[in-house]
Amino acid sequence: MQLTTIVQRNNPFRKFWGKLWRSKYLVLMIIPAIAFYIVFCYVPMYGVLMAFQKFNPKVGIFGSSYVGFDNFVKVFEDAKFWLAFRNTLIIGSVKIVISFLGAVAIALLLNELRMIKTKKTIQTIVTFPHFLSWVVVSGFVFSLFAYNGAVNSLVEAMGGSRTNFLADKGFFFGMVFASDIWKEAGWGSIIYLATMAGIPQDQYEAADIDGATRLQKIWHITLPGIKPTAILLLIMSVGGVLSAGFDQILNLGNDLIREDVNIIDTYIYYHYVSGSGNAGIGTAIGLFKSVVSFALVITVDRIAKACGERGII
Amino acid sequence: MKKVQELERLPLRPKGSSRDRKIQGLDVIICTILVIYAALIIFPFWNAFVISISSEASYLKSNLLLWPTELDLNAYKQVFTNNQLWSGFGITMILLIGGTAYQLFFTVITGYAMSRNKWTGKNFVMNMILVTMFFGGGMVPYYYLIKSLGMMNHIAVMIIPGAIDTFNMLLMRNYFASLPAEMEESAKIDGANDLVIFVKIFLPLSLPMLATIGLFFAVGNWNSWYNAMLFIPDRSEIWPLQMVLRNMIATVSSNIENPEAVDGFSQGLTMASIFFTIVPMMCFYPFLQRFFVKGIVVGAIKG
Repeated sequence: MQLTTIVQRNNPFRKFWGKLWRSKYLVLMIIPAIAFYIVFCYVPMYGVLMAFQKFNPKVGIFGSSYVGFDNFVKVFEDAKFWLAFRNTLIIGSVKIVISFLGAVAIALLLNELRMIKTKKTIQTIVTFPHFLSWVVVSGFVFSLFAYNGAVNSLVEAMGGSRTNFLADKGFFFGMVFASDIWKEAGWGSIIYLATMAGIPQDQYEAADIDGATRLQKIWHITLPGIKPTAILLLIMSVGGVLSAGFDQILNLGNDLIREDVNIIDTYIYYHYVSGSGNAGIGTAIGLFKSVVSFALVITVDRIAKACGERGII
Repeated sequence: MKKVQELERLPLRPKGSSRDRKIQGLDVIICTILVIYAALIIFPFWNAFVISISSEASYLKSNLLLWPTELDLNAYKQVFTNNQLWSGFGITMILLIGGTAYQLFFTVITGYAMSRNKWTGKNFVMNMILVTMFFGGGMVPYYYLIKSLGMMNHIAVMIIPGAIDTFNMLLMRNYFASLPAEMEESAKIDGANDLVIFVKIFLPLSLPMLATIGLFFAVGNWNSWYNAMLFIPDRSEIWPLQMVLRNMIATVSSNIENPEAVDGFSQGLTMASIFFTIVPMMCFYPFLQRFFVKGIVVGAIKG
């Protein structure tokens, strides 16, 4: 009798189910999440097999025939893809740099501003655009840079002649960067402001006694104080360099310049989702993008760690 | 001895210290730069507003930089009688209320389960979730998944796939984990099960955090257009507000090929529609700002 109870108690299966039963409500809470991640994240991950298929929507992923690396060969021979890749790299990397510099600059200025009420008001104003969609922001941009818009009126008032900015692809990049700063720099500054508020006050007091000027204090205390946060955020943003802002590019583009200013994601969207290109090729581009992004994150993380900073992985 | 005397002569609050309230030249410069920057942020709003209340003729004369020369509220009359905009508003309200509640429910229960220590398979599930933050299938497989789930052109596609936001879920998990575990233990001794502990103890304590995350979801739903664009191409009657607006803006901006022919009136209507979508946000934002700020600060420090 006693022996069987002991055997039962030590039975690994019984132990497992007993433990599971004791935490049944927690398990119940996690089941929807497991289902969610499997359906909406892991099934699409399984779907990357399409990258190696000549995908036929009628028969689906299980019926389509495999073609090895043919899709990748087609992608790498496609000049339009390389144009999109180049645009992505330019837009993505410039945006990382300017949004970082913009956020830090605004945070520094706000941090040095001593009028508390003005500071609060300005902070409310500059963070608000973050909560607008790119649809609304593109509406503003189109209206400002339209032929009859404010910018053209200003140019004319200063003696220039009206230009059709929106049809000019060279101008498009500037528009992307400017609207990105306008929308996100204020919001990005919050995190740096919070970090600055966490720098111990006695460092500044010690500097005061040594007779440091305000600029010296910014350079030697404030900036080193936000360095770990800045590096962390930069590493994280490098993973998104190949995303470069699908929402923004899609909404700011227009029919005239669309094909010249594609980034990888809009290229996939126009040609392989809403367009007629073979879905296998579209998947191959997407897979290429995620592999390169992942490699970038790992590399930057390693570099940061080698330089003695805290990484993210 | 001499040094001590020197020290005694030093003022208690040295010049230029942060406690020194005197306004310096640098303060003026800083304030000026910030005010100019804030003005640049406000200008597009103001310009759009001026266009929306101006007549077509005065818009085409193009002197509408700062002040309307000829008032015309027709654009707003058009907006308030536009069925497409109101139907978009209705759909957006459904997303705002239903979608936010749905996302909040699943994100919070997942966050709670992930914050508790003792259950089989927790590490496995955690790794399974973290992997999705670095890898994804991409847009095309996702598109075919939605298609094969039969959600194309259905309102559910704007709600169902958003059940859990991994970042906010982890935020919630960290918050629950930071609450004292002794509360859970003593409730267990009193015979409460995990569900009771969650609903009666942890949920009431995390209301500020719930508000923060709920607001982020609400803004996301208010601004939602991406899913509608990808998955509801054929049924404009269930487009949300932003998608209706996007369509409107695309129609106006497609006239750029011959710029002189741009219809000033449609420009006014577009700007009025933009205000129709952002005025609710402008009214609430100043009061809710602190919640948003708290959310991002907590997220960045813990994440």
